Amino acid sequence: MKLSEMKSNRHGTVRSLGNDERFMNRITSIGLTEGVRFQVVKNDRKMPVLIYVRETLLALNRRDCEKIDVTEAQ
Amino acid sequence: MRSIALLGQPNSGKSTVFNQLTGSRQHVGNWPGKTVEKNEGSYTYNNEKYTVTDLPGSYGLSGNSDEEIITEKFIKSGEADLVCVLVDSSQLERSMYMLADFASMDTPAILILNMMDVANGQGKVIDDKKLSVRLGIPVLPFTAADGRGFDGLKALIEKEINTPHRLITKPEFGAAGINDSNAKYAWISRMLDGVARSSGEDYKITGLDKLLLRPFWGKIMTVLIILVGFIAAMLIMSPFMGIAGMMPKLLGGPIANLLTGINVHPWLVSVFSLLIPNTIYFCISMAAFVFGVNVVFGFLEEIGFLARAAYQFDGPLSKLGLQGKAVAPILMGMGCTIGGASGTRVMDNWGQKMLTMMVVWAVPCASIWSIIPVISGMFFPVWGTALVCIGIIAYIFVLMFIVSKVFGKSLVSEDSRSGMIMELPPYHKAHWKYIIKEAWLKCFDMFKRAIKTVTLVSLVFWAFSFSPSGNIESSLLYKVGTFIEPVTRFFGLGWRTFMAFISAAFAKEAVLGTLNAVFAGQSNVADVAFNATAGSVDTMALSQIMSQTISRAEALAFMFACTFSVPCLMALSTTFKESHSLKWTAKTAGFYIVAALILSCIVYHIAAPFIG
Repeated sequence: MKLSEMKSNRHGTVRSLGNDERFMNRITSIGLTEGVRFQVVKNDRKMPVLIYVRETLLALNRRDCEKIDVTEAQ
Repeated sequence: MRSIALLGQPNSGKSTVFNQLTGSRQHVGNWPGKTVEKNEGSYTYNNEKYTVTDLPGSYGLSGNSDEEIITEKFIKSGEADLVCVLVDSSQLERSMYMLADFASMDTPAILILNMMDVANGQGKVIDDKKLSVRLGIPVLPFTAADGRGFDGLKALIEKEINTPHRLITKPEFGAAGINDSNAKYAWISRMLDGVARSSGEDYKITGLDKLLLRPFWGKIMTVLIILVGFIAAMLIMSPFMGIAGMMPKLLGGPIANLLTGINVHPWLVSVFSLLIPNTIYFCISMAAFVFGVNVVFGFLEEIGFLARAAYQFDGPLSKLGLQGKAVAPILMGMGCTIGGASGTRVMDNWGQKMLTMMVVWAVPCASIWSIIPVISGMFFPVWGTALVCIGIIAYIFVLMFIVSKVFGKSLVSEDSRSGMIMELPPYHKAHWKYIIKEAWLKCFDMFKRAIKTVTLVSLVFWAFSFSPSGNIESSLLYKVGTFIEPVTRFFGLGWRTFMAFISAAFAKEAVLGTLNAVFAGQSNVADVAFNATAGSVDTMALSQIMSQTISRAEALAFMFACTFSVPCLMALSTTFKESHSLKWTAKTAGFYIVAALILSCIVYHIAAPFIG
C-alpha cells in the first residue's frame, strides 16, 4: 500500500521509495530508507503525513507520500 | 591564518555556532558562479586569527543540489584545516548521516554533539568518550544556543589544528554501491551501538500538537498566534521609534538656526536640518521594525512553532509551487517585507527562495495598513473603507497566484519541485540571549544598508522636490510630473498621485508626506515632504484639499497601485542581498511596477462610471 493510505498510529516498513533519484536522496538523508520501520503519527485528509522514524518526527508532503510503497505491520 | 569549516544538517544549530563564534565579523558573498550564499567569518584566539566558513546547509553530500556540490568541493579542496561536523544530539542516529557522508573524505575533523540540553531533557545519555574512540576524532558534547562552552570549543579547535585527527572508520559500501544509504545507516548503528540507546518506544503526540495540528482549527490558531506575535513586535519596537521620532524636531530647529546664523546657503541648511535628521529617524524606525519582527519570529522558530505552521500550510502553498516552509517568510511579510525577504533563507533551494521572495512582495506590510485607512477615510465612509480593505486582501491572493503562474515555471521547474520534507522538532525552551543577538545582527546590518541607500534616494527626491521660490510650480517634481501626466492619466493617476505612487516604492512611510507636499503645495515641497515623514501631517486639511482635487475613482486606483507596487527601497535592497541576482531583483521590481500600473488602470476605469 501507499504511505498516504495508512491510518494514524499504525506501524509499517518501507518497501520502496520509488525511482526518482533526487527524491530518494533527499528522503533517505533525512532518515527514511528502504526497510526502515516507522510509525504514522497523524494522517489527515489534505494535510502532510506525520511519521516517526529514527527518533524524528517528520512531515512529508502528501503527493510525495503517494510515491512511497509500504507494508503495514499487523 | 587558520581556516575551519562548519558542516551539518539544517536544524543542527550550525548557524548558531557560526554566529556565536564570529559575532559581527561576518562576510556574506557568493560561491563562485553560483547563487548559493557563502558565509564567512573570523575570530581571534590566542593571538591567532581563524576564518570560519559556514558550509551551505544540506542533509547529505550526495551531490543533489548546488549546495551539496559546493560543500563537497570545498572540503575536498583542503582549504579548511579542520572540519567541525555538527549533529543534533536529540536525534543522533538520523543526524549522523552527514558524518557518514563526510567519512569518505579524508579530512581532519571533530564532531560536535550539539543540543545536548534537549537530549538531556529527553533523558538521553550519550557516551561521547566511547564514540570518540570508535571514530578516531574528538567528540564534544555542546549546547550552542546558551552561549557557554565556546572557549572550550576554541581551545579544542586550536589543539586539533596542531595535532589533527581523521576518521578511522567509514561506511562499507557493498557491490556497485547498492543501497548506499542503508550502508550508511548500518555504519551509524555500529558507531552508536552501546553509545546511545534509542528508546524504541512509540511516539506519543503531545497535547499541544493535538490542538495545533488539527486541520481547520489549527490553521485558525496559527494565524491568531502570529497576530499576537505582531502585537508583541510593535511593543518591542515602539520605544525605539518614539525616541527616534523626536530627533527631527529636536535637531532640525537648532541646526537650521545655527547654519542660517553663519550664512550657509539655504539649500545646505535644508539638507542638514531636514533631510539628514529625517533620514536617520527613518532608518532607525525601519531597523526597529526589522528587530521587532525578527525577535518574534526568532522566538516562534526556536520553540518549534514555525515548523507546525509549515505543516499546516503545506497544502495551500504547494498550489503556488512553493511548500510549507514558505509560510514563515510570508507571515513575516505581514509585518515587514524586509523581514519576510530575509526569512526566505529557510527555503531548500534558490529557485524556491526567489519565488517565495516574489510572493512575499505581494503581502502588504504593516506600514501600508497604517496609511490605507487614512487615505480611504478622506474619500469614503467607514463601510466604504472596509470594502477597500477587503478588496485589497482579496487581491493579495490573486496577485500571489499571478506571480506563481508567471514566474513559478522558470524558478521552480517541474522536476526540481520538491515537496516538504521537514522535521517537526520537539517544543523547546527559547534561548532569549541568542534570539536577541541574532535579531540585533540583522537589524544592524539592515540599518547600515539603509543609511547608505536611503540617504542617496532622499537626496535625489529632495533635489526633485526642492523649490527655490517655495512654490511647488518651480520644483522639478512639478515639471516632470505634469509633462508625463498624459501618460499616467491612462493608468488612472494624475501627476500628483503618480508622484506619490513613485514615492511609495521608496518607502510607504513617505506617502502621506508626499501627498501633503503635492496637494498642499503652497509651501516648500521639500519641507513639507520631509517634515511629514515624522508624522506631522495635518490629515484634516490634506483630506479637504485632496477630496476637492481628485476623483474618488483616482483615489481608489491610487490606493491599489500604492499597495501592490514595490514595497520599499529596503525590501528591494534585501531581495538583492538574499538572491544575489541583479537580474531577478530587477525582474521582480519591474513586474511589480508594471502590475501595479495595470491594476491601477483597471480599478480606475471600472470604478469611474460608478463612483466618479
